[in-house]
Amino acid sequence: MTAALDVSGLVAGYDRTVVVRDLSLSVEAGKTAVVIGPNGHGKTTMLLAISGLIKPMSGSITLGDERIDRSSAESIAGMGVVHIMQGDGLFADMTVEENLLMGAFVSSSWRGRRETLKRVYADLPVVESKRDQKARTLSGGERRLVGLGRGMMRPARVMLIDEPSLGLAPVAIEAVYAAIAKLRAESGATVVLVEENFTHIGGVADVVHILETGSIVRSGSFDELSHDRTVVETYLGSITDVTT
Amino acid sequence: MTDIVAIIVNGLVYGSIYGLVAIGMTLIYGTLRILDMSQGSMVMIGGYVGWWALATHGVNPLLALVLAFVVTFVVGTLTELVSVQPLIGRRGEVDFEMVTFITTFAVGILLTNVALQHFGPFQKNVPPIVSGNLDVYHGVSISYHELTMAGVSVLLMGALGLFLARTRWGFAVRAVAQDLDAARSLGVPVSRLYPATMGLASALAGVGGVFLGALYFASPTAGDLPLLQALIVVVLGGLGSLTGTLYAAYLVGLMQAFCEVEIGTTWTLPILYTAILIILVIRPYGLKGSPSEARL
Repeated sequence: MTAALDVSGLVAGYDRTVVVRDLSLSVEAGKTAVVIGPNGHGKTTMLLAISGLIKPMSGSITLGDERIDRSSAESIAGMGVVHIMQGDGLFADMTVEENLLMGAFVSSSWRGRRETLKRVYADLPVVESKRDQKARTLSGGERRLVGLGRGMMRPARVMLIDEPSLGLAPVAIEAVYAAIAKLRAESGATVVLVEENFTHIGGVADVVHILETGSIVRSGSFDELSHDRTVVETYLGSITDVTT
Repeated sequence: MTDIVAIIVNGLVYGSIYGLVAIGMTLIYGTLRILDMSQGSMVMIGGYVGWWALATHGVNPLLALVLAFVVTFVVGTLTELVSVQPLIGRRGEVDFEMVTFITTFAVGILLTNVALQHFGPFQKNVPPIVSGNLDVYHGVSISYHELTMAGVSVLLMGALGLFLARTRWGFAVRAVAQDLDAARSLGVPVSRLYPATMGLASALAGVGGVFLGALYFASPTAGDLPLLQALIVVVLGGLGSLTGTLYAAYLVGLMQAFCEVEIGTTWTLPILYTAILIILVIRPYGLKGSPSEARL
């Protein structure tokens, strides 16, 4: 029952705007925690603070038994935090393969990059078929898959995935979630996945947390929360098509 | 026929050295989004290193070039740490591009004045890297020095291209240019990459400075004209586009050679700048830059 990732009393935001206030979240090793909540309530901000892309204003973030809330983004990456960013974060003028190789940038992964690349291509044949294309020429779904593939290019202790379904057609979302399932199975990583609602997460969530106005307001299993009408109505507004 | 050969030979020589000095600026603009106005003083420092090594110490020319590379790499890195790095964390609150334009310019002026204090205002003669002339075609000749200058420039630009296209750190430079946060999240140490990039760009200008020093002189203001020319080439090529910079460098070089051969030296600059004015009014984003800004 060790926590791979522990966030405690996190306050974070941009300049003087506080977005995340007193957020606490603990994720067990090897489990997938899904955080859902409306847009603009701090899901992305929480992930950015964990991976060090923004500096927390207060609170602590612990990876295993190491405090990381004062570390730089590059050293947090070096410790095994993989962040698959919202809107892909692909390098638009680099090829798909170059994008993937950047996923193995940390020196411990760079040496074995060719073998890793083969493995990722075997898992994601669609990505391999586009290997020499510039990232900017890909469709939204393809870009998302490349982003996931890039996340598989180095061993992850903790993987942060930001709204993988955002802006995609249903078919593409299916492919993306199939890739996420593969990635979870292979890496055994602890995953924090963020989504706006319950629609796609049934197959991946070990635990679900509801985030509202900057902090976690409810936690429970997927079945428990997605069938709780008060949760759905109070926090997620108009969403009615809850699927399992 | 002699005219055409003369235009092409001289145009390629000019273009190569313009390219070498300007490509560093493009590299810096592509990664850091700043116009590095200290590039001219790197040319100036390169000239003095050439003078010190070749004229006063009789050092092997190749070693002199390496020395200029190393010295300007270090000075360029320090320039970044002093005039750019402190502002990076405050990009949100200040006009980063404008402020660094001034801070790097200030460093350039400081370096010019250091040279003035130390070496005095008088020009120093820098011996050529290689002496002698090559007769290319019926009286069109080119000095071995210029030939070497063009060759080394092309070689260094090719090496830069390979570095960016093939190597781990080259990937990192391009990645940072295209999506800074994504690159950081993958483990790219930006706080080391930025100074090193500016060091590398400065070193290219420094090597160019040794050649230009021998072509003209080493003096405190020797970098002023190369800076202006590089600025023009970079803007004409489309800010941040490496291939655009190359096109622009050779275009400017050939235009200059054409004017010199066909019209006369006094007309070169007015005609050149008129042409550039027209090109930029028609294509404000330069030859290769896209309206949405080119990125390495």
